[in-house]
This record gives sequence, structure tokens and C-alpha cells, in this order.
Amino acid sequence: MSTMSTRSAWRALHYSAKRRAFQPSTPYRCFSCANRAQEQKPDDRMTHFGFTNVPESEKEIRVGAVFSSVAASYDRMNDLMSLGIHRLWKDHFVRSLNPGSCLPAMTADQRGWNILDIAGGTGDIAFRMLDHATNVNHDMETRVTISDINADMLAEGRKRSLDTPYYNTSRLNFVEANAEHMPHIPDASVDLYTVVFGIRNFTDKQAALNEAYRVLKPGGVFACMEFSKVDNPILDGIYKRWNFGAIPLIGQVVAGDRDSYQYLVESIERFPSQEEFRGMIQKAGFLIPGQGFENLTGGIAAIHKGIKPIAKA
Amino acid sequence: MAYLARTLPKRVFAPSLTQSIHQTRAISTATLQSTPTRTTQHTPTNQPRHPLPHRSYHSALHARLPDHSYTNSQTAILTSALAHVPTHGFSATALTLGARDAGFLDVSVQLLPRGEFDLILFWLASRRGLLRGEVEGGELFRRIAAEKGKDVHELGVEERVRGLLLERLRMNAEVKDVWQDALAQMSLLANIPLSLTELHALASDILTLSGDDSVDATWYTRRLAVSAIYASAEVVMTRDPTPDLADTAAFVERRFEDRKALADKITGIGQCAGFGWNTAIGLGRSWGLKI
Repeated sequence: MSTMSTRSAWRALHYSAKRRAFQPSTPYRCFSCANRAQEQKPDDRMTHFGFTNVPESEKEIRVGAVFSSVAASYDRMNDLMSLGIHRLWKDHFVRSLNPGSCLPAMTADQRGWNILDIAGGTGDIAFRMLDHATNVNHDMETRVTISDINADMLAEGRKRSLDTPYYNTSRLNFVEANAEHMPHIPDASVDLYTVVFGIRNFTDKQAALNEAYRVLKPGGVFACMEFSKVDNPILDGIYKRWNFGAIPLIGQVVAGDRDSYQYLVESIERFPSQEEFRGMIQKAGFLIPGQGFENLTGGIAAIHKGIKPIAKA
Repeated sequence: MAYLARTLPKRVFAPSLTQSIHQTRAISTATLQSTPTRTTQHTPTNQPRHPLPHRSYHSALHARLPDHSYTNSQTAILTSALAHVPTHGFSATALTLGARDAGFLDVSVQLLPRGEFDLILFWLASRRGLLRGEVEGGELFRRIAAEKGKDVHELGVEERVRGLLLERLRMNAEVKDVWQDALAQMSLLANIPLSLTELHALASDILTLSGDDSVDATWYTRRLAVSAIYASAEVVMTRDPTPDLADTAAFVERRFEDRKALADKITGIGQCAGFGWNTAIGLGRSWGLKI
């Protein structure tokens, strides 16, 4: 009897937890025209949004909605979901890149690094890189451009930059742009291109990689940290259980938004493996140093690097 | 040998041949000082019979592996970084300067995932390649022979090994003052496997180039001995104030003497144990035991 009652209570809780984003029961119809606004064009290619397939044109909007909704609680959620490990990963990522020159530049235009931080809206990576350049390498010239497609995330980053010494200096810029197409950034102008936990949400990853290749100077580095595939089956089991069991629940309790975090874990699951993604980086024209990727915490996350060759051979 | 003994007719299996078989066996237990060969040799000598080039046991059909596995861009950065090593040591600074010299950006040192350790490995591998080049050019052994007042063909394997080892150590002379840092880097836990692999490759190269063609257990003991002598001599070299590394050379000589003494002792102990065993068997038989 008691088991029955707890089960029904659990089911009710579980059902309420699966609250979906509001969807009108009848499709929206534009009265001033004959076409339905949501009607799919026949030539529209499909892409995945978590485990569901959506038209490519729609993914950008959907991802935008997810990140607009999580922007405010982003950091707190990251701490809870990764048990604080994401800070270690990010520190390691920045330390391994060692941004900033500790040696005097040979020419004036080579002074400091020009870093482009893609999908770095909240400035997590950008502030770390500027801190490293300033405090470790005593380089006051290195500058970071934070580029994000989402205005809400950028607003969060701007707010946080108030507490840093880089606020309102030429060393820090915010740009709202789509990483697949950045006409405002000239060819061969960037030393270091970073994208941390962002490329997974891009509609066309290969296009973004090609654009990275275009904007980087010859010899410039593409560095990416992203969730990846765990190689140990035992750890993988625990990790999957955590991902699909705990994270949407934490999202619901802390951020009040289960669906966004459901999307998050599904997009992690859909992201290509270390080897596949390395192949994509190579396909864009980059040189791969050594193995090409470094696994963090057994492959939960991986750092990928590529170097733009000096002369096309 | 056993195969040969079995196939030969009884009358050909003369006492002289039996004697020579025992002799060859006794000598093969001593390491380095002689070259036991696979062919039946009636009078084994301490000198290799064939002058270089001789037939080695390495397949001529398979190309030798390259000295290092770095790509062209990596090699370009590392090669120009080596020019900065005497002043800046095996450091990130030397790498950055090397990248700049090679026309790369500061950030391009990301091309080398192991950082400074890649620079050390490249130094080791490229010096090993140079050593091989000098031997294959032929001038190195001619010089060593001239120093000893001998003809090239008269040089024994051990003399060649000594000469190559000293030549390799002299290559380190220009980085002598920064080499302790490199040794420290190499002894870090994560770097030990690759450091040992490189040390083995050097020992193996030295022995192969010297014309050593042992195929039994001595293949291992010789490489171990050369590795040990080289590694300890490197440490001595970092504290050697003499300009032409005379102290290090003397150290290497002493280690080779030690090794010889040790090998003689082991051979002696082996012979003694053999005699003792034979005596015990003979004694047992004389008492009527069925052994």
C-alpha cells in the first residue's frame, strides 16, 4: 500500500519535472499570408538539437533560447554540475596555452597576443587568459575579444568584467557574432582562437572551423575544450547516470529550467568523439600537434589543438 | 653448435674442434671484450675479423627508422631553438625564440605538446643522428685509430665503443652548463619512459656502429653496460671543469676497466662453479651413484 502511494507520488513529481516549453496545440498561422510561419521549407537541411532533429535554421534560435535562460545562473550551475572540476579544467587549459609573451617583441605590431575567445560570453576564459598574461608573463599588451552569439551571455560577461582590472580598457572587447561567419574580423589577424564548451552548440561545426582557419595568422593556434567521450566503461556508466539523472534535476531545482539542461546533456552525448573531432580540425587545414587532443578526467572533457601552417604545402 | 655436432660425421668431430667449441663458449660469457660470431671459428681472436663495413644482423631490406618523429614545422622550430640553448637552457624561452627565428608566432610553441622536454628529446635524437652520420662518413674511426696509432681495421669493438661514447659526450660540451636542468627534466616521473627509450637507442646505436653483432644474452648486458656508463658519465660531465672533458674521459676509462674486471670475475665464478659441479658429478659416480 505504502509502496503504491510513494510510487504515484514519485510519478506525479516526475511528470511535473518534465515540464516542457510552452507549445501551442495548433500551429501558429499568419493571417495576413497564406503560408504557415512554422512550415518547413522543403530544401531546409536538418541538424540535431539534443536528441531531436530540427531544421538548421531553427537550431540557432533554439540554442539562443537555452543560453538566454541559463545566463544568470551559468556559473553556479557549472559548479554544481561538474562538482567544481570545470574550474580546474579551465585553469589547466589556460596554463597549457601560456598566453602572453614574456620576451620583448621584435617588432611593434607583434606586441602582445591578439586572442579571440569564441562563445566566451561570461568571460570565464578571457579573464583567466588576461590574468595569466599579466601576472605570469608580465605582458600588458595581450588583448582578448570575447565573441558570443548570445546577447544575454555577453551582458553577463560585461557585468562580471566590472570586477576585473580590464573593464573599459583596450585589452577587452565584446562582440556579438556568429562564429560561422565573422566578416568583421580580417583574415590572418588572430594569434590564438579559443572556444571552450561552445562548439558543441554550433549549427555547422565545420564552417566554424574553416572560419577559425581564415582569421588565424599563419602559425596561430586553434584551441578548443569540449565535452568528449569517456574511454573507461565503469567511469562512463557513472558519468552517464550523473548526466541524465542528476543534471536536469539540478537544473530544475537551482535554475528552474529543466529543459535547457536536458538539452545540455543531450548535446554532450551527440558531440563527436576525440578522433572524429580531430579529423574535422585536420580537414579545416590545421596541423595537429602530437596526438592532437588531451583527455581531462578520463575523457569527460578534452582539449583539442590545431596550428595553422605557415606556408601551404 | 649442437646442431653442427650432430650433423658432422664422427671422425670429423676432431678433438681440436671440440676444444674450439669450449673456447668460444667461455669467451661468449665475457661481455664486450670479444666478438663471438655465429660462424664456427677455430681460433677466436679479440679482433673482429672483418673490417667495416661488415654484415650486420640488421636487415638491409628495411629502411632504418628516422632518428626522431617530429614533423617539418616542429623540426624547424626545434632546430632554431637549439641555437638558443647554450644561453637560455632547455627552457620555454629558448623554444619561443626558436619559433620566432623560424618565422612562427610565440603561440606556435603549442605545436610541441611536451614543451621543453620535446627540446631535450630533439637534442638527444639529433645528436644521435649526427654520431651515426660521422661513423657512416668513416672519418670518426680513422681519427680514433690515428689517436691510438693504429690502422682502422685494427680497432677492436671495445675501442670503437669507447671512442663513440666519448665522441657523443663531447657533443654535449656546448650545453654542459645547462645539462643538469635537462637531466632534472628527464628524471620527472612522466618523462622517465621516453628518456630511457632514448638512452637505449643511443646505447644500441653505439654498439651497432661499433660492429658488435652479439645475438645472445650479451646483446642485453652490453646495452645495459653502455647505457650505465653513458648515463653516469653525463652526470660527471656536468661538473667537469676541464675544457676538453679530460676528467670525463678518465672517468669513462675507469668505468670500462671496472666493467672488464667485473666481467672477468663473473666468468671466473662461472668457471669455478662449472668445475665444482663436474667434480661433484664425478665424485658421485665414483661412489656408484647412477648420474
